[in-house]
Amino acid sequence: MRRPRWTAEVRPVPNKKSLHIESSGQLCIYCGACVGICPLNCIYLDETRITFDEKVCTRCEVCVKACPVGAIEIG
Amino acid sequence: MVPNEKTDVLVIGAGPAGSMTAKWAAKSGSRVLMLEKRQEIGSPVRCGEGMSKDWLGEVGIKPGRWINVEVEGARIYSPSEKVFEINEKHAGNEVGYVVERDEFDKQLAIDAANAGVEVRLKSAAVALLKENGRIVGARVKEFGETHEIRAPITIGADGFESQIGRWAGISTNIAMRDMDTCLQYRMTNVGCDVRYCDFYLGKVAPGGYVWVFPKGEGLANVGIGVQVSQVQNLADARTYLDRWIAAHPEYAKGKKIDMVGGGVSISAPLKQTVTDGLMLVGDAARMIDPLTGGGIANGCIAGKICGTVATEAVTAGDPSKEFLQRYEKGWRARLEEKLYRNWLAKEKLVSLSDETFDKIIEVLAGVKLEKLNVHNILKAVHTKYPEVTKEFEAFL
Repeated sequence: MRRPRWTAEVRPVPNKKSLHIESSGQLCIYCGACVGICPLNCIYLDETRITFDEKVCTRCEVCVKACPVGAIEIG
Repeated sequence: MVPNEKTDVLVIGAGPAGSMTAKWAAKSGSRVLMLEKRQEIGSPVRCGEGMSKDWLGEVGIKPGRWINVEVEGARIYSPSEKVFEINEKHAGNEVGYVVERDEFDKQLAIDAANAGVEVRLKSAAVALLKENGRIVGARVKEFGETHEIRAPITIGADGFESQIGRWAGISTNIAMRDMDTCLQYRMTNVGCDVRYCDFYLGKVAPGGYVWVFPKGEGLANVGIGVQVSQVQNLADARTYLDRWIAAHPEYAKGKKIDMVGGGVSISAPLKQTVTDGLMLVGDAARMIDPLTGGGIANGCIAGKICGTVATEAVTAGDPSKEFLQRYEKGWRARLEEKLYRNWLAKEKLVSLSDETFDKIIEVLAGVKLEKLNVHNILKAVHTKYPEVTKEFEAFL
């Protein structure tokens, strides 16, 4: 089974917009809404840490809209 | 090294659906192991804590200290705040409780444990074990150590963000229009009526509603669900909720003491909830009522069926997906018609304008309906605003 390889804050991939999940707890409430809606199943919630797989993520922005507290940004 | 283990039924997730499944599997004679990834069952709470009560006897749940407030009815507020009251006369025994959800989950886990279920805390499934295309258990990380638990029947009761279904190859993907993003504050010092659960419809919460569930002594759960596809300008659920609270002085004076969020599926039922050696139950199986967003009752009702079928499959030595159709057919016979009907109603409701909501609630507030159902509601509205019901002819 795939496990997280990149934390949310790491380097952007060329030609892809950067995705930033604020998972240090300043905004994130670890509710799992982004995990449930991710169509590629590439966001992982592990108690108080959210990570996503940079390579799999297509920046579809669904998680940005699903986040109830605006903790996910795409730039 | 933790040695590998064997059991008859492995339940992943100790929420209400998981505990209920585990309990009924154990009661019917299976050895059952139930995993909970957290250190505490029921916590943190991710729930509005309102629920109906007519189904509790069916699944064997006795009233306990998890009951917080017993309400007399529900009030539906239109955008211009016309009120329609649903009371016990309309809804029969459907009106219900505001609960302490962590206590409720714990009570169900206690019931399961007392029925013989072995409960493991701090135990997360990290992968499914597969053999010849069949699920035969899971790899489990318990207190940081990984070992394998083999079982002829594995149950995925791992909630809204279910991984088990996806790992097993069951399509549980959810579209933006099929999900509400939710946020709730527990507030003290608010001016709500402990006799009612209140619901506010319209553009204040596009594709969802604002709820106020009283918890007694000036305490209430004030929350919002917004359809993800209708979120505008990257506002989030918190923005919508804060805006609503600011516009309501009786809540704006309250103080927040707790905050929870999460996703709720408002989709039509899954096409498939079983595969060889595996069944999904509760939120993981998308059994949440798409109209109300409530998932506890359906999860528990399906859990009873799931647990019973699990034992039948173990006894028959046949965990194939053909055998597990007993569960698939059983839960659908009990729940699917209502789920589908409420999904249709929800699809219509999310498309209504504030003016239409106002007209409908105004009419309902003015007439005495004997029995509350879609047909009676539409008939009443039709007499005053025939143009409103034009779109609803399929229901009449």
